[in-house]
Amino acid sequence: MLRQEINELLTKTGPGTEMGDLFRQYWIPTLLSEELPENDCPQVRVKILSERLIAFRDSQGRYGLVDEFCAHRGVSLWFGRNEDNGLRCAYHGWKYDVTGQCVEVPSEASNSRFCANVKLKSYPLVKVGDVLWTFMGDPAKAPPLPEYEFAQVPSSQTFTSKRLQESNWLQALEGGIDSSHVSFLHSSGLQSDPLFMGAEGNKYNLGDYKPYFEVVDAPGGLFIGARRNAEEDSYYWRITPWLMPSFTMVPPRGDHPMHGHFWIPIDDENCWVYTFDYQPVRDLTEAERQAMKDGYGVHSENIPGTYLPVRNKSNDYLMDRAAQKRGETFSGVGGIAIQDASLQESMGPIVDRTKERLATTDAGIIKARAKLRKAALALRDEGKTPEGVDPAHHRVRSASVVLPRNEAFIESVSDKLQVQPGVRQASV
Amino acid sequence: MSGWTAQGNTAQAASAAELRYRMSYPLVPSRGVRVVALDSGAEMVVRKVAASSTWNMARFYSAETILNSHGIHGAPVEVVLHGLDGAVESLNDELVDVDSTIMVATSDFGSEAAATIGAACSVRGIMTAGLVHGEDTEHTVSALRPYAQVLLVPADDGDLEAILTAMRA
Repeated sequence: MLRQEINELLTKTGPGTEMGDLFRQYWIPTLLSEELPENDCPQVRVKILSERLIAFRDSQGRYGLVDEFCAHRGVSLWFGRNEDNGLRCAYHGWKYDVTGQCVEVPSEASNSRFCANVKLKSYPLVKVGDVLWTFMGDPAKAPPLPEYEFAQVPSSQTFTSKRLQESNWLQALEGGIDSSHVSFLHSSGLQSDPLFMGAEGNKYNLGDYKPYFEVVDAPGGLFIGARRNAEEDSYYWRITPWLMPSFTMVPPRGDHPMHGHFWIPIDDENCWVYTFDYQPVRDLTEAERQAMKDGYGVHSENIPGTYLPVRNKSNDYLMDRAAQKRGETFSGVGGIAIQDASLQESMGPIVDRTKERLATTDAGIIKARAKLRKAALALRDEGKTPEGVDPAHHRVRSASVVLPRNEAFIESVSDKLQVQPGVRQASV
Repeated sequence: MSGWTAQGNTAQAASAAELRYRMSYPLVPSRGVRVVALDSGAEMVVRKVAASSTWNMARFYSAETILNSHGIHGAPVEVVLHGLDGAVESLNDELVDVDSTIMVATSDFGSEAAATIGAACSVRGIMTAGLVHGEDTEHTVSALRPYAQVLLVPADDGDLEAILTAMRA
């Protein structure tokens, strides 16, 4: 269980909240770059950390992320016109540049300085990889740009999708930290999903339902090692990195791509799940890329033209009890991502953690919550910069390895948990 | 499916409004949790946490290893538990009706005690966790690894309390 006041501290991310202030120390994913595909393309509504914004790409290719509402009468600029290096309100023609600066008020005299004093709040919006990132904190304290490997490799080696999850960000993140559910909820996917099947390690996953865990504190977050029996003299280790505040990677399988997630609060009851797959040293094959687009692996099949999953709570995730009975799925819900989402959304918009009863095997989740809380309070009380802001912390990898029984992952494969350019991932 | 039924429509069932109807009743605390300090440094950690709250079913001890004796279930040593009030307790007795045992260590001094406690828990189906405090943890972790199903490395001052709270101990 968690005391109610701690649950509130961890789950509320709007302006002025402790966790909101913590998120505002990091560059965070805001849009996929495909959402603003060309200069002067249609602007996009954005809600992130409970703030309503509008994103646009101007005539010179500069990205802007500004207050959604016109300073004049509060009209949404989603109804405006993106033209000639600015976003013009459809109501009275006030126009703003990518910094939110008002550059034109047509009703004022042509030599008026009126618009110089009108500026919408804005945040930087920067493309790194296939993602547009923003920093919503004090501009003077903006850290260097993110260096996560999935966003650093050539575009031919990486693929990112996103989906809406109708729950608070923390219960979604906690699913990414919890490695023990894989042997149950996703058991069928290990044998049938084109982005998982065929890996040597799968048989170990399915052969040992009682993993041992080692939760190792690391700069920027945690490494959570799940140890299962492999052969008589060896263990199969799956190592999940979590970086503060909301980045997780899934241990890889065979030669399948590496993958992971960002869990980004939209408001306190919804989040975006950014899901990436990449190969550190080779291009993704066409078959791999198509499988990701089709919603296999950790991606979701979305309603065309949207980021809303086809299987969602309004249609009971297309629950298929017959497939469940036949053993094709464990829960009756298809697709690994939506298997997770369905259960996490079933907890309610913000799960009441005063009613939960965790076990020792939840130590990773308990430790992550403690680190988040500690960092939020240290930021509030001491102004201390949290872990995970430094791009050096971003250069982590997940890993799956088979080790002799007398070896521990953190000593044996610490180099494989760091990005090594040109070196393949450690994967079984 | 249209309309509300007790079985269908997750959109309605998972709404904040419907979650208000989740039943509210006193949750049963953990059946029993034993916290054992394996060395003197760990005893300081355990004493602090023991005093920090009114615990339901958690009991706190420090372990004393008696060498050259035949311990329970073939373990090479015998372990005597000392309650924080100084009372001497038998490991066998203190593991009755227990769900989890958490071993706390700051060095590998208690590795033999860990082996004995781990073996005793294993035959009783009791989950074991190890919290390793300190900076140079490699030897301590190696000593605890075979006997702890969950290891936290390095643990900090708040971890034991957080785990006990999360477990309703």
